[in-house]
Amino acid sequence: MSTVQSDSAATSSGSPLDRIANARIWNSRVVVAILTLFSLCALYFVFTVPLENPEQLVFAVSCFILALLFRRVEGRYAMLVMIMLSVIATGRYMYWRLTVTTAWASPFDAAWGLGLVLAEVYAAIVLLLGYFQTAWPLHRKPFPLPASRAEWPTVDVFIPTYNEPLSVVKPTVYAALAMDYPPEKMSIHVLDDGRRPEFKAFCEEVGVNWTTRTNNLHAKAGNINAALKITNGEYLAIFDCDHIPTRSFLQICLGWFLHDTKLSMLQTPHHFFSPDPFERNLGTFRKVPNEGELFYGLVQDGNDLWNATFFCGSCAVLRRSMVEEIGGIAVETVTEDAHTALKMHRRGHTTAYLAIPQAAGLATESLSGHIGQRIRWARGMTQIFRIDNPLSGKGLTFGQRLCYLNAMSHFFYGIPRLVFLTAPLAFLFFGAHVIQASAESIALFALPHMFHANVTNSRMQSKYRHSFWAEVYEAVLASYITGPTVLALINPRLGKFNVTAKGGKITETYFDWAISRPYLILMLLNLLGFVLGFVHIYNNLHLPSEVNTTILNLAWTLYNMLILGAAVAAANEHKQVRSDPRVAMKMPVMLRFSTGRTLACETIDYSEGGVGVALPQGIQVPMYENVMVSLFRGNEEYAFAATVSFSEPGRAGLHFVGMSKAQEFDFVKTTFSRADAWTSWADGRQPDAPLRALSQVLRAGALGISGVFQHLYSDLRALVRRGGRPTEQKDS
Amino acid sequence: MKVVSVVSAKGGVGKTTLAANLAAVLAAAGRRVVAVDLDPQNALRLHFGVALESADGLSRATLANMAWQSAMVVGADDVMVLPFGVLTAEEQQFFESHLDENPLWFANGLAALRLDADDIVMVDTPPGSSVYPRAALSAANFAVNVVLADAASYAAIPQMQRIVDTCAAPRPEFLGEGYVINQVDQSRQLNKDVLRVLRDMLGDHMFPGVIHTDEGVSEALACNTTVVHYDPLCQASTDMRACAAWLLAALGAPAVSRRSVA
Repeated sequence: MSTVQSDSAATSSGSPLDRIANARIWNSRVVVAILTLFSLCALYFVFTVPLENPEQLVFAVSCFILALLFRRVEGRYAMLVMIMLSVIATGRYMYWRLTVTTAWASPFDAAWGLGLVLAEVYAAIVLLLGYFQTAWPLHRKPFPLPASRAEWPTVDVFIPTYNEPLSVVKPTVYAALAMDYPPEKMSIHVLDDGRRPEFKAFCEEVGVNWTTRTNNLHAKAGNINAALKITNGEYLAIFDCDHIPTRSFLQICLGWFLHDTKLSMLQTPHHFFSPDPFERNLGTFRKVPNEGELFYGLVQDGNDLWNATFFCGSCAVLRRSMVEEIGGIAVETVTEDAHTALKMHRRGHTTAYLAIPQAAGLATESLSGHIGQRIRWARGMTQIFRIDNPLSGKGLTFGQRLCYLNAMSHFFYGIPRLVFLTAPLAFLFFGAHVIQASAESIALFALPHMFHANVTNSRMQSKYRHSFWAEVYEAVLASYITGPTVLALINPRLGKFNVTAKGGKITETYFDWAISRPYLILMLLNLLGFVLGFVHIYNNLHLPSEVNTTILNLAWTLYNMLILGAAVAAANEHKQVRSDPRVAMKMPVMLRFSTGRTLACETIDYSEGGVGVALPQGIQVPMYENVMVSLFRGNEEYAFAATVSFSEPGRAGLHFVGMSKAQEFDFVKTTFSRADAWTSWADGRQPDAPLRALSQVLRAGALGISGVFQHLYSDLRALVRRGGRPTEQKDS
Repeated sequence: MKVVSVVSAKGGVGKTTLAANLAAVLAAAGRRVVAVDLDPQNALRLHFGVALESADGLSRATLANMAWQSAMVVGADDVMVLPFGVLTAEEQQFFESHLDENPLWFANGLAALRLDADDIVMVDTPPGSSVYPRAALSAANFAVNVVLADAASYAAIPQMQRIVDTCAAPRPEFLGEGYVINQVDQSRQLNKDVLRVLRDMLGDHMFPGVIHTDEGVSEALACNTTVVHYDPLCQASTDMRACAAWLLAALGAPAVSRRSVA
């Protein structure tokens, strides 16, 4: 377990639940062992006692009402009760499902049925592992460095790059230079695997080290390992070349290493200031938590309790001696980061997570790029699962094994997700009875399982993942990660590292037919099944059981279609207006006009090329006017020459002109590297409400479906007009 | 009554403008403020719309043995203004020798105004080390020392510091002095560099922000008003408001230990 005391241990007062949970009696191992044994026996009976339908109904409704009541109670213990109720509902469902509903009548039914059962078992395991992993996020706070700067350790800052343009890397280098740390104790290295002269020139000009090597073996991991050999700081901070650190990064991160001498790695979140393809194409940027937020908001914080935080390749600090002890960054898989953490855990070293965004970068540009990155993660985690399985081998605690297991098995969702998206079709198309039970029984057992899982997760993940969005994200990725994970399971050597292109610009709205083909096919199948279902009901009106079963399958199909609709909408690539993404940020700014008059106002946003400002009282400034723009960092002020590039009453866009290198540096210092740059990112966002989330997903789904037909129409028309293939549109 | 004396070793640093604007901001915040002009230039009143022809002021009142109240007018922004008044050369010589002989004349005169404990007296002074700043500092609870971010101001800092140390610092009711850096334009490198040196040197004994160079300030005076009144949205006005907030905090919370920066 970790060395940090959880924050609730100190609160002896509080709700009655807290008082019970903090009672001294729990310090006795005997009491705990007896109670655990008793609870397990009780759970066994709760899972297995057979109930008739009316009794099961009463039981399920009572449990659910209890869950809804506990949902209103503040605090973590109330959450644990909800988790337990969800475990009970799932346990009962799975026991019933495996013992009662699997006596398939024909091999045909059995084939379909077995697939669904396996998918459900997988989903239940991942659900339970997820509860285990995130039941009690540690919420670690930064540990202060010693007051005397003489005691601060030496740090090497690594910025590995391969083929990214210099314009992407520059802000990161500037921000690294701007970090508040004694310059004699910090050494910045740009690890250029592209061996580019312009990088060398830039590094020499701004005063950072430019290192390179003769080959590109093992990609980023090899790049870092090569740099390890020629540097000697006690710690290394690693930033992907487009992750811009804040000035406070090192001071916030290093304290824990001096306090916990076994600490090998401390990770901070990967924060993105530009919308990812889901956010851009679905219009959910900063409104709905994105795909990564669950991981960095909750999962890693939950891992931290079990000392199972893993390294994510960037925005992290590692202790050199421990990295060298395991032979450098792991090179065996394409997810070198997670494997490195696993190796250090096996040596008995600890890791830590600080959920404070201390760096930010560009999100992947296009959906295809996003999918490519997820494929790499899925493939890499599967490789680790095969060659260094966390369930076996030495050195890991039980909690660590389960956390790693969940991290890896999470990526096996491909096939199960596809099964869920097609399962009702087996009945609607072929009349296969995949679940050997009446529609009523299925509802009585399955619905509690689903409702409890939803309500519980909605509470646990409220800030980090809204209900039903996981389904959308998974539906998009399922068809793409299935192949790579299966291949890697068979042979872990299969797999190629692909670098994700960033910082480009989608110049035209278009529909990515190629990437959305799988969900379009799935959607058409579901649509067909939906129609066939109605035909089936019409033909079997005299058979109530058949009608009920059909209705159940139709409801499931409808839900699937809407999830697929949202998935399709995500492939509708929206035009990106600017190549430099704007970061919303309110900070004071001074404008000085050529008349010598000034205006004190606030920024609305900034990008690498300028700032947007809010002008008080509906003031409007003339277009193309020359303005001096002053930004502030504490009491420091930095002035930039700019022209007005956008103007309307109460707003102006100011585009910087003729920036020197020193000014580019100053600009990064006053914007991206502010310590508070990303801390209030989620302010104003509503917490999850399952029904609202459902309506958002439904709206996205409906838009997606209608969007397909619109694009189909316009693309077909273009096709007819040109008499050939529609023009290939590519993101740059 | 809290007496704030605005002083500087050098002329032309914007003392009068700062005194007038701080007075206007504090008055707008609901404090009763008396702006007292202890500078024979008699220019403070112009920021408050007092007529140029008027010759009344505390100097004439003193020479005529009348109460200062008789010379006090309610100026713009609800600030009570006590102009210096217009004196002939002989009268001024006589007045200054009177000041020299009666070090407590100014302090007694302010006390006779019978102001409340929360009221603020903002005193403008001529530059240098004449009898006027000495008198103003002898009555002050707080001294605001106005400097520019240039070499001349930097060089003159110890000179004014010595006067503060002699006239104000020994009195128990004196809370301390604070420097305000005026007319700053950070797009000019020299300004930036001197500012950094000043910050290192003055440490906590300064308004942490700056007052920016602003054409609105000159335009405001041409219109017989304060810049906070003339263009409340400009940077100089924002700076003045921040400076007034800093001043109020300084008046409310006395510095624990005074450290000489000279």
